[in-house]
Amino acid sequence: MNERELQEAVGRLPKSIEPPRDLWPGIAARIDRRSWRRSLYWVPLAAAAALVLYLLGRGERNTWDVTTLAGRPLIGTTRLTASGRLRVGDWLQTDDSSRALIAVGKIGQVEVRPETRVQLVVASATEHRLALARGAIDAKVDAVPRLFYVETPAGTAIDLGCAYTLATDSLGKGLLHVTGGEVEFQTGQRMARVPLGALVQIRPASGPGTPYVEDAPAPLVRALIAFDFERGRARAVRNILALSRPQDALSLWHLLQRVQPSLRGVVYDRLAALVPPPPGVTRRGAIALESRALEGYWTKIQRIHFRLTVLRGVRRIDPRTGTTARE
Amino acid sequence: MPPPDDLVARAQAGDQTAFRELYREHAGRVYALCLRLTGDSRDAEERTQDVFVRLWDKLRSFRGDSAFSSWLHRLAVNVVLNERRTTGRRERRVMPTEDPAALERNRGNPTEGLSIDLERAIAELPDGAREVFVLYDIEGYGHGEIAALVGIAEGTSKAQLFRARRLLREKLER
Repeated sequence: MNERELQEAVGRLPKSIEPPRDLWPGIAARIDRRSWRRSLYWVPLAAAAALVLYLLGRGERNTWDVTTLAGRPLIGTTRLTASGRLRVGDWLQTDDSSRALIAVGKIGQVEVRPETRVQLVVASATEHRLALARGAIDAKVDAVPRLFYVETPAGTAIDLGCAYTLATDSLGKGLLHVTGGEVEFQTGQRMARVPLGALVQIRPASGPGTPYVEDAPAPLVRALIAFDFERGRARAVRNILALSRPQDALSLWHLLQRVQPSLRGVVYDRLAALVPPPPGVTRRGAIALESRALEGYWTKIQRIHFRLTVLRGVRRIDPRTGTTARE
Repeated sequence: MPPPDDLVARAQAGDQTAFRELYREHAGRVYALCLRLTGDSRDAEERTQDVFVRLWDKLRSFRGDSAFSSWLHRLAVNVVLNERRTTGRRERRVMPTEDPAALERNRGNPTEGLSIDLERAIAELPDGAREVFVLYDIEGYGHGEIAALVGIAEGTSKAQLFRARRLLREKLER
């Protein structure tokens, strides 16, 4: 058996195997016992939890550790030598030859690249927030979603458990490149979901553009930028639809919500032709932008995109379904 | 049957009937994962129960940022790996599953004979190699994620995958 045959055999393995016996009675009994115990002991547990939260909050309150990686970054007006602490309200600034590493509480780290200015805005156990005035950062966070935020002049990057690079100029023109997990970028009502292996252009006032995958064809990227930030949107939509591949489904999913209502049908039809909708997602529901339909479609697109990205070079994946492609 | 989102919301509110429906819906997927990660049907049954008990405890923290099935899947992986880390009682199994019928039940096409051989071969892999193979080749995780989940270096994950594939090819050629 060669490598390809092994991969094909793996692709045929059933995703689901029924347990040999009904496991529910054992689960139900354990749940009942826990509920009973919980009803008796909630007071001391709550007290212990409150104490732990208090201690954690006190330990993390208001400061994050900073380490110099190169040169001599500034905290406020003080030159940093080896390491220091960033307090809420402090600005950290690097010049063209300095870099620094910020420990984001206990959940991750941010590398501050040269020519960057960041401020610590909130440092608590339940919210970690930086403001990036200009420059670039590489963030890596290992935490539940929506604990880490980075504000830029054009909107806010919301961590959904991920790694990413965020760059912006002082006016808010920038780029978000996600290398792990998923990030949401929000400006007012406009939102973009950017999974690993995808990028989004950001502009002042208009906020996040339409995300696209790392290997998106250059003409498609130009058409997306034209649609998001320039004149002639109708022509840009036609170009986007003509240039899109199944791998670009995440761009079309965003486009569906951004075109004028009369164009939603044609965008949906192209998306459905490239990546068929999952069961339960109807054309009518998607065109009406019903959240159930959009979320269902996104789950499928995201799953396919994840497999395409992480299995690149290892296994050939059908970009329409996410399953292992037959030779 | 109520829609899945409704089931999750009801179970989050403490409705045990809805939770039982969630169990019925997802037990097969969770058991398959546990069986492949542990290589033993009795352990897999225990871990499946552990997963759903843990799910009951943690369900309120599910906020819908990802699909429920993906969230549950990650929870199941953590439960199985944590159990192995904390007890350290895994032993090499000569007989991979004491219930071959669990695999037979999924028979349905001519290629499934090979699938059953493969399932047995996977179960016979050394623990470390099996975990990396299951997570990478079957479940689609990346080496970085596996390294973090299992508590090994990324390079070790790659080496274990290489080793697992080689062992599997050898076993299936016999």
